[in-house]
Amino acid sequence: MSEQKTDVPYGTLDLLILKTLDTMGPMHGYRIARRIEQVAENLVRLNQGSIYPALIRLEEQGWIRTQWGISETKRKVKFYSLTRAGAKQLSVAVANWERATALVARFLEAES
Amino acid sequence: MKIRFALRRLLALVRKRRLDGELDGEILAHIEMAELDAIASGLSREEARRVARRGFGGIQQMKEDHRDQRSVRWVENLWRDVRYGMASLARDPGFTTVTIGLLALGIGANTAMFSIVNAVLLKPLPFPEPERMVRVWETPAASQRNPTTTLTFLDWKRQGDVFEALAAEESFKAAVATDGDPVRLSGKMVSADYFNVFHVQAQIGRTFVPGEDQPGAALVVVLSHSLWQRQFGGDPGILKRDLLLDGQPHRIIGVLPKGSFDRHEARVWKPLIFAPDQMNRGQHWLHVVGRLRPGVSIEQAQAKMRALRASLAGVIAQKDWGFTVDPFARLLVGDTLRRSIYLAFASVLLVLLIACANVANLVLAKGATRRKEMALRTALGAGRGRLIAQLFTESLVLCLLGGIAGIAVAYLLLHAATPLVAASLPFTADLSLDLSVLGFAAVAVMTVLILTGLLPSLQTSFGKLSGSLNQAARGSSGSSAAVRRTIVIGEVAASVVLICGAALLFKSLAKLQQVDAGVRIDHVITMSADLPSAAYPAPETAIAFYEAVVERLRSLPGVEQASVSIGLPLEGVRWGEFITLPGVKDELLVRVKMVDPWYFPTLQIPVESGRGIEVRDRTGAPPVMVINQEVARHLSSAFGMSNPVGRAVGIYLPGYGPIPESPVSPRIVGVIRNERTSGLHAPIEPVIYVPLAQFPRQDINLVVRTRSDPQAAVSGIREAVRQVDAHLPLGDVRTMEQVKKHSMLWATEPTWVAGAFAGVAALLAALGLYGVLAHAVTQQRREIGIRMAVGARPGDVVSHTLRDALSMLLVGLVLGLGGAFALTRVLKSLLFQVSALDPAALAVACFLMTLVGLLSALIPASCAARVDPMTVLRDEG
Repeated sequence: MSEQKTDVPYGTLDLLILKTLDTMGPMHGYRIARRIEQVAENLVRLNQGSIYPALIRLEEQGWIRTQWGISETKRKVKFYSLTRAGAKQLSVAVANWERATALVARFLEAES
Repeated sequence: MKIRFALRRLLALVRKRRLDGELDGEILAHIEMAELDAIASGLSREEARRVARRGFGGIQQMKEDHRDQRSVRWVENLWRDVRYGMASLARDPGFTTVTIGLLALGIGANTAMFSIVNAVLLKPLPFPEPERMVRVWETPAASQRNPTTTLTFLDWKRQGDVFEALAAEESFKAAVATDGDPVRLSGKMVSADYFNVFHVQAQIGRTFVPGEDQPGAALVVVLSHSLWQRQFGGDPGILKRDLLLDGQPHRIIGVLPKGSFDRHEARVWKPLIFAPDQMNRGQHWLHVVGRLRPGVSIEQAQAKMRALRASLAGVIAQKDWGFTVDPFARLLVGDTLRRSIYLAFASVLLVLLIACANVANLVLAKGATRRKEMALRTALGAGRGRLIAQLFTESLVLCLLGGIAGIAVAYLLLHAATPLVAASLPFTADLSLDLSVLGFAAVAVMTVLILTGLLPSLQTSFGKLSGSLNQAARGSSGSSAAVRRTIVIGEVAASVVLICGAALLFKSLAKLQQVDAGVRIDHVITMSADLPSAAYPAPETAIAFYEAVVERLRSLPGVEQASVSIGLPLEGVRWGEFITLPGVKDELLVRVKMVDPWYFPTLQIPVESGRGIEVRDRTGAPPVMVINQEVARHLSSAFGMSNPVGRAVGIYLPGYGPIPESPVSPRIVGVIRNERTSGLHAPIEPVIYVPLAQFPRQDINLVVRTRSDPQAAVSGIREAVRQVDAHLPLGDVRTMEQVKKHSMLWATEPTWVAGAFAGVAALLAALGLYGVLAHAVTQQRREIGIRMAVGARPGDVVSHTLRDALSMLLVGLVLGLGGAFALTRVLKSLLFQVSALDPAALAVACFLMTLVGLLSALIPASCAARVDPMTVLRDEG
């Protein structure tokens, strides 16, 4: 557990979840959390529990849907998958993110 | 998607426990899997559990977040919207007052009207098991109902397997001595079974018991609750007191409970005892009410009565008359009353609809000015669902306040209207704001909410908000304006339908008023009296009274002519008899009036041939009669009798007091011009007039023609009668004008109600039109300014606005006329000599609507003309 870990940047958790479901297909909460941690290669500190309120929020927006399935431990758990509206939202969010980072990057270049 | 979103929140609130359970399961599964992974990476079981927990984070905190996401926000939002709505309404008191006022009037008028519909048409009669209550009649023809005879009634009463109780009733009036003048009291003589028909028990004492309606029984009365309160101050010892009816003491045996019988015309009930003379099948005088045995249907009762009728074929003279059993409720509510109530209710519903349209218009207009606020809120992150919810909550607050005010308005309206309409409603109708009426008010509020809240909130929040931040200050919102114009056109159309209906009714009323009554009704005052049998036991005494009274009345200063008669013009003739001609098989049904020699001169009914009734036609002289032209016409066409004067006919005429009808053969001595006997709208009836001195009766009318104001003569007339009989109270003091008005109430009441509603509707539509035009002028100030700057004159600007108004009015008129064509047919039965599509009335209706509409357009038009191009152009920079 390295000390340089930071929190997940504010407002990006939704984007990370959507992108994860987009690339990996339907999966349950624990796998989503693990996947985010693995991709981030321990760069961020994720409270795994915090993805559940985020999942609810995304489901209410109609961007993801749930189905009941059986986990590796033989428990009944929810599997989350991306909806068509979610896929559209993902592309919008990605584009926004890229614009924002490009803008910030350009400023930083100009400063130096 | 938005609706699903809102629904999910709502469901989440309901399913909180289940969702919490699901979440617990997920957390458990999550931590288990994390543990397994940690063990797989080589940690001990203990350590793995610790790592999994730490990785997950605070479970309680996360659950709170989860719940917050799910549901709590929804409730919070609602509360915030309500507070926000109140505040927003308080910020705009003008809008709020007008809107709540419109809603209160609309909902109030509807609620009041519904309580009448409810009391008269919907609520069951206020007696136990009202479906078992019936009226029993003889039927001269399938659609006609006739009272029955004493012996036939007694035959009916023996049908114990059909009727649990059967009672005959007969109205009477009697003088009751109070501290000052004697007053006339309405009462009913009824069979002892009467109150068993209604299943009504006395509140104090008892009602009649079997045998109390037999000859020789003691004189007893039952009082209504209101009479007990008014006349006796609610004296608890009332049962020890007597009531003096026409000077005869009657023992008070009971007081009815408060309620329906207090609205009854009768105040006292006494047993109906048949005199030996009344035991016949000639005199059709009894109205019969009954209660069927449990389990006996109306159809079964009908069948039993048909069988009974067949078995009585030998003894009933009217061969083709049958018996029938009607539900009690049917006769309480006549067809005209039912139609009038439906008409008024439909009108008031239309008025509510128009009021709703106006409120929706106001909300839309307000919404247009709030687009900037909405756009800002959207930019700050409010979802559209939240905006709709907020606007809808504002409407909800408005409608609830309007509904509460509406119920108060309904209460006031009912309070004010009850004394006016009570006389036209059956005595069983209890006008009150009961639960079903309040339920109706709630439904009305919900409907109004949907009509006025949903559309504008969707309109406002789904319009193109993106551009609003920049444009709201200037441009008009095209789609909103179109919706508002459509609403105004709808209002105009609905008003036109109402105005057309009212115009038709008014034209019909005018036609009715033009009908010649056949008598001169100005300067005539009338009164009624009943000569009590105790004071006037013999016909001679009554005749002496008539002559003495007329003598005194005619000597009064200011009195031109005076007469005594049975019945007044326009009020119907009670007696109907067949006249027969010697050697002719056919009979002619005529109405019979008993009049003194001065009846024709007092009412100025001209004698067409022969002579009128004269003083020499008295007891002992040969019986005579005068016929009207209608009888003469029938005699000539059906019996080939071209000159009836001098011919004798056969007829049954009633004797004095309880003496039954007997055959007489009066000679026709004259023909008089027709008078309207049953109201101005009713066809002319064949009527014969016989001398009151030859056929005296006790229920008399005084008819007095005065030289000046007839009301001024009343005290003199009372004094003159008092000199003849100090104990005789006079009732029903009315001028003939009032009698005429009363006979037209069935037509005037619905007409004025429809007229009032049409007027309100037209004003509301004009208000809506004004609102839209004023808004348009405000929005187009810049355009108007430019046009004036390039040379348009104020007149052009005014005519532009008026043309705009006219275009909306014309579309509304066309639609409204279409509606009127489809709907005025329902008025048919209320119209007198006017077609339901009368072109003149419809044209007047269209003209009035256009006039009101254009007048309301003049204000915004003149505003437009006053626009100063320099100011406007400079403002907009």
